[in-house]
Amino acid sequence: MRVTAQTKAATRQRILDAAQCLFAAQGFEAATTRDIAREAEIAVGTLFNYFPTKEAVALCLVSEAYAQAAERFAADSSRESCSTGDSAEPFTLEEELFAHVATVLRKLKPFRKYLTAVLETALSPLTSDHADGAAPLRTAHLETVSQIISRHGQEQSASSVALHLYWTLFLGVLAFWSKDASPRQEDTLALLDQSLAMFVGWLTTGTKHTENHSSGG
Amino acid sequence: MPTMAELLEALPEPTEELAAPPRGPVPEMLEAWSLRPVPVGWFRRLRVLGTLQAQVGAAYLFHWLRGWFKDADENKRLLAETHWRNAIRVLDSMSYLRGATMKVGQTLANFPDIVPRQFVEALDRLHFDAPPMHWSLLKEMVHNELGDDPEHLFASFDRRAFAAASLGQVHRAQLKTGEEVAVKIQYPGIARTIREDIRNLFLFMLPARLSRDWENAKEQLDDLRIRLERETDYELEAAMLAKARPLFREDDGIVVPRVFPQHSTARVLTMERLEGVHLDQFLAANPSQQTRNEFARKILHAWYRLMYAGRLYYADFHPGNFLFMDDGRLGVIDFGYVMEIDDEVWNLFRTMDRALTTGRREDRLAAIRHWTWTTDDPSNSDRMRLGDQFADWCWRSRYCGGEFDFGDEADFREGFDLFLEMVRRRHTRARPITPMISRQQFGWRAMLYQLKAKIDVAPIAEEEIRVTGWDRSDYARME
Repeated sequence: MRVTAQTKAATRQRILDAAQCLFAAQGFEAATTRDIAREAEIAVGTLFNYFPTKEAVALCLVSEAYAQAAERFAADSSRESCSTGDSAEPFTLEEELFAHVATVLRKLKPFRKYLTAVLETALSPLTSDHADGAAPLRTAHLETVSQIISRHGQEQSASSVALHLYWTLFLGVLAFWSKDASPRQEDTLALLDQSLAMFVGWLTTGTKHTENHSSGG
Repeated sequence: MPTMAELLEALPEPTEELAAPPRGPVPEMLEAWSLRPVPVGWFRRLRVLGTLQAQVGAAYLFHWLRGWFKDADENKRLLAETHWRNAIRVLDSMSYLRGATMKVGQTLANFPDIVPRQFVEALDRLHFDAPPMHWSLLKEMVHNELGDDPEHLFASFDRRAFAAASLGQVHRAQLKTGEEVAVKIQYPGIARTIREDIRNLFLFMLPARLSRDWENAKEQLDDLRIRLERETDYELEAAMLAKARPLFREDDGIVVPRVFPQHSTARVLTMERLEGVHLDQFLAANPSQQTRNEFARKILHAWYRLMYAGRLYYADFHPGNFLFMDDGRLGVIDFGYVMEIDDEVWNLFRTMDRALTTGRREDRLAAIRHWTWTTDDPSNSDRMRLGDQFADWCWRSRYCGGEFDFGDEADFREGFDLFLEMVRRRHTRARPITPMISRQQFGWRAMLYQLKAKIDVAPIAEEEIRVTGWDRSDYARME
């Protein structure tokens, strides 16, 4: 029997729904691929046709939530820029970077507790860009960061080193968040605030140094 | 507009004494006055943590004490350097260290003229103009606490803070039901950070346990700990506001803002917004003596009403907590540090009332013995002498009756000198609430001093104390 694209998409979605449900109920570690398959009412072998590992399922969930966050952020950003009247002050670079990550965190909240599994594999800075399908997520995120930096007139600073540094900080915040036991994860907000202040400080100082260097040279 | 970092850079190189007492030889007179143990010693240990609070505290204290023995010109130079450097440091670090530094700032701002004007003005900026949390962070805090974004929860919400609270910031907003409100929002995690700092501080201080001034230092730390814990608990503050508000009638001309519980949590406090100015702005408009007196009376009525009718001790007398409203009303807007008076303290106050009312020396000495557990042993004569002088200073405006000139600088300084002398001689051992009461005493006196008020305290106290139902027939003046 030919499996249509529509059936494939539906099965894939069933797997994701089942996984999300089980991860939330049992925890990421306890839930097995067998459990997920059973919950999705498919054979384990079929599950592997879609996802090679449990981590890949988790990454997919995270990536989809991330995509929604990106859409939301883009919509919010355009609304902000439309609604900016004389009285409203434009966002600073730091503020906009914060808003971006905050949008991501809100969307990833249901997956917070098993984010570590994704971080340890697909999202780790040690993972090659092509591994495990994490590249699109990373690329999309950093693309948005580049655009934000450019919007604030710092496009010269958005070097690959700067973006790598940003990505490392971002993953650090995610890792902290996934284990954050403070009330409503308020410590993550403080960490994010301070991390971005540090990053933006470095970024803008770096620009100054470059300018000084080139003018002196 | 230079950045804070640039301003800091532009100042002369920091010298050791800017952050702490110098390591070199100190003036002989300082040694003779045994100034090291407390409070300078306390701040020295505090500095181990490297907190800004410690740096400002130590710099300020040392400088202030040393300044008494320096010639005016050099003093002036040192003042400018120390104060501005510290003020800039404070401003520059406010975002993340606001809790601790504000406490020092607010306490110091209570001492006009004794703490140099320049420094007080810089600290005043901290009360009201500290750099705010940016909107994106604030929005997340509100979302975290109240479950939705501020623009959905409120009819309008100003992005820019209009005041810095000690541990967060305050925004103007309007509820969907139309009320104009002030929304106080706490910097994320600051409450727990401060608690951990205090715990660490105790650990750092453990080696000092055996020293003579340990108890005093511990008391001060406890006082600071309780104060910070209370101020970071907005739910408690909401409860205090709700308790205090009904104590005042419309014709009192004193108003405590209403709380909106649906929009409040432990980290977000939404309350009615009162329109008025703070003390410095009020004074800048050159109000008449009569107007200043009227506000001074209201300040005292508010304090006594809270204490006698509400059994609430308003421990945070600093100008940022009071609003001078256009219609002549006094707004009491911050209930972050209000203690409920338990039976033990209530009975202590009951006992003190006789001495406060009669002004007789024997009553005062009895009260001091009771308060400080001091016996009649001759070795305690110095303690009793100083205690008597200080208590007399604290209470004379009440028992003397008639108009009292609170603007008399010499009188104000006398109290401060006496208190310092007691601290130096380690005569401060007393009930645990003593540090709070001392600070409060200087707090209201400082406000009335700034108002240059000339008022009769006795009738205000007599009017407010009636509600206690205490039998005062054998000592109170019967009107």
